[in-house]
Amino acid sequence: MATYIDQYGIRVGGPQPLPPKPLEYAEPSPLDGSDPLGVRIGKPFTIPFLQDKLLVDGQFGTFWLGTFGTLSIAFFFAGLVMWAGACLAQVHGHLELFFQYFANVQILPPDGGLGYAPTLESGGWWQWCVGLFALSVLCWLGRAFEHCRRHKWRPWLPFGFIVPIMWMGAVYFFHPVLMGTWAEAPQLGWYGDLDWANNFSIRWGNFYYNPFHQWAIASLFGTSLLLGAHAGTILATASEGSHHEVAEIKELHSGSIKAMLFWKWTMGFNATPKSIHVWLWAFPAALGTACFCGIMANGIFTDNWYVWGVDHGTVKQYGPISRDAILHRPLAVPIEVDQPGLPRP
Amino acid sequence: MTALEFANAESYYRKPGKTLLDRTIFGGDLFDTWVGRFYVGIWGWICLAAIFAALSAVLLSAHGNGDFRSWQSGDYDLLRGAVNTPPRQYGLGVAPFYQGGAWQLTVIFATIAFSTWALREVDICRKLEMGYHVPVMFATAISAWASVQIVRPFLMGCWCEGMDLGFTAHLTWTSNYGWRFFNWYMNPWHDLALTGFFIGALFTMMHGSAILGTFNTDRNPKVEMLREDNFWRDYVGYSIGEYGIHRLLYYWGIFTLINCDFMDITAGPFIKDYIALWQWHWPWVHNLPWLQ
Repeated sequence: MATYIDQYGIRVGGPQPLPPKPLEYAEPSPLDGSDPLGVRIGKPFTIPFLQDKLLVDGQFGTFWLGTFGTLSIAFFFAGLVMWAGACLAQVHGHLELFFQYFANVQILPPDGGLGYAPTLESGGWWQWCVGLFALSVLCWLGRAFEHCRRHKWRPWLPFGFIVPIMWMGAVYFFHPVLMGTWAEAPQLGWYGDLDWANNFSIRWGNFYYNPFHQWAIASLFGTSLLLGAHAGTILATASEGSHHEVAEIKELHSGSIKAMLFWKWTMGFNATPKSIHVWLWAFPAALGTACFCGIMANGIFTDNWYVWGVDHGTVKQYGPISRDAILHRPLAVPIEVDQPGLPRP
Repeated sequence: MTALEFANAESYYRKPGKTLLDRTIFGGDLFDTWVGRFYVGIWGWICLAAIFAALSAVLLSAHGNGDFRSWQSGDYDLLRGAVNTPPRQYGLGVAPFYQGGAWQLTVIFATIAFSTWALREVDICRKLEMGYHVPVMFATAISAWASVQIVRPFLMGCWCEGMDLGFTAHLTWTSNYGWRFFNWYMNPWHDLALTGFFIGALFTMMHGSAILGTFNTDRNPKVEMLREDNFWRDYVGYSIGEYGIHRLLYYWGIFTLINCDFMDITAGPFIKDYIALWQWHWPWVHNLPWLQ
């Protein structure tokens, strides 16, 4: 590969802008015929006046329906309609009250044991919704796997998707099952979600002292650091084609060389166009794994992370600890739930 | 690419000149040089000095406060040691070293270290004839630090409002800080930043998977790129493109960090109670003319 120097700097192979990408599909995969719902809906299109500055190389359409995709969308909307209906019933069917209290309406898990809820109102809606959303997510995972086969991708995406699914599973299923009550799981609603996160932390003795939560925060900020560093590096060198990453993995050009030199000089170490994407995959994976562990460890490692931290030397003891009061208490406390006081029609 | 070509490119770019201060002081940048693999430059030396000063303040403070009392036993207590903020009585003034002065020095020198690191990145960008995207993003991240440690304490009129430095200490501070404003989850910028970080992680994994899934699956990189685009168009109906994904990640990160700034600066100077903040919402919606 030729290396030459001109007045603009060194050119290794020179900048080689690729021609605009065609809006066409590769040859059909053998999978396409075997799927009874295997149809592409819509047509590829671009939006010319937005394409120059805003969308650049973005492409719209088409959308592959497929059995997994259809099922996933159907389950999701079934759950959504069920959630909306149950919440609408809480405001006595008044649509304007539903919008007014949109952030407050929520459906709660059953506060008994692990069985079916006795009625739909006492947690049955929650069980149906969570079940439907779980099916929806799993079908979408199946869709990711079949798409990888169809488009000849290595299955990094679905295996990465499994990680947050495991986290969701821990929050809504595995941890409640281990604790013996669905009441451990979040209620379904806007503020309900936030309140659960808040209360769950207190209920287990402050999540800031949960080592898996600490690991998760470090991974989350680490992921964002990598995101910013990678995106910034590529944008800064994109005029020399460093954003054509699969091509740069085959053969480095000046843009990627600059990107590598930047980090070598900045921190003494540089990734390559290939290895940076391993980092970009692995950090979110570590994040999801930490989140999974952080949920599952409650009640297994300890009932109180502050006490655990003091015992293991990671947390300073701020005062006397009443271990009996903190540690020897019933795990599942039935919660008296007040529905928001709503005006009667 | 062979190692020879990379070394060739490096030898071309690795030479003095093009820095921010080149030909502005002393007729040239006196420190414009490399140490091993690292470019140092004048900002690098200032950064090193600031790191040394900040670490000295931390270690002296820890020693004086007894965090290293068991020095001889080898128990340095790195997790429970802390450099704490000054007591309220000192306001925005200078505090004695062992009563928060160490914290003030550490914050000053750490901020200098972060900023000069960003300026050193600017110098490297100039040498390599790159855009300034990385130092700009880093400066946005520094703004989140400055919001917590400088801007907000200044607006509150007391350095005691800053974050304690230490493993347990900063966790406890963060916990208490949230409770002080009743419920940190009701801080809208916290929600936006939280969403930003998690969606950013989702985008990051999607991008990493796309490249790891398609590289060297064909001799022709154009076919591999076609596979990337075809996948996303089939999967979600839209492929953002190779350039677009990096721009999305970049501005998504900037947006998230700016929300971090708002999250901290509003807490105290502007908003005392994030639950009460939302009370405006209900009468506002209720009074919409079409809902009367």
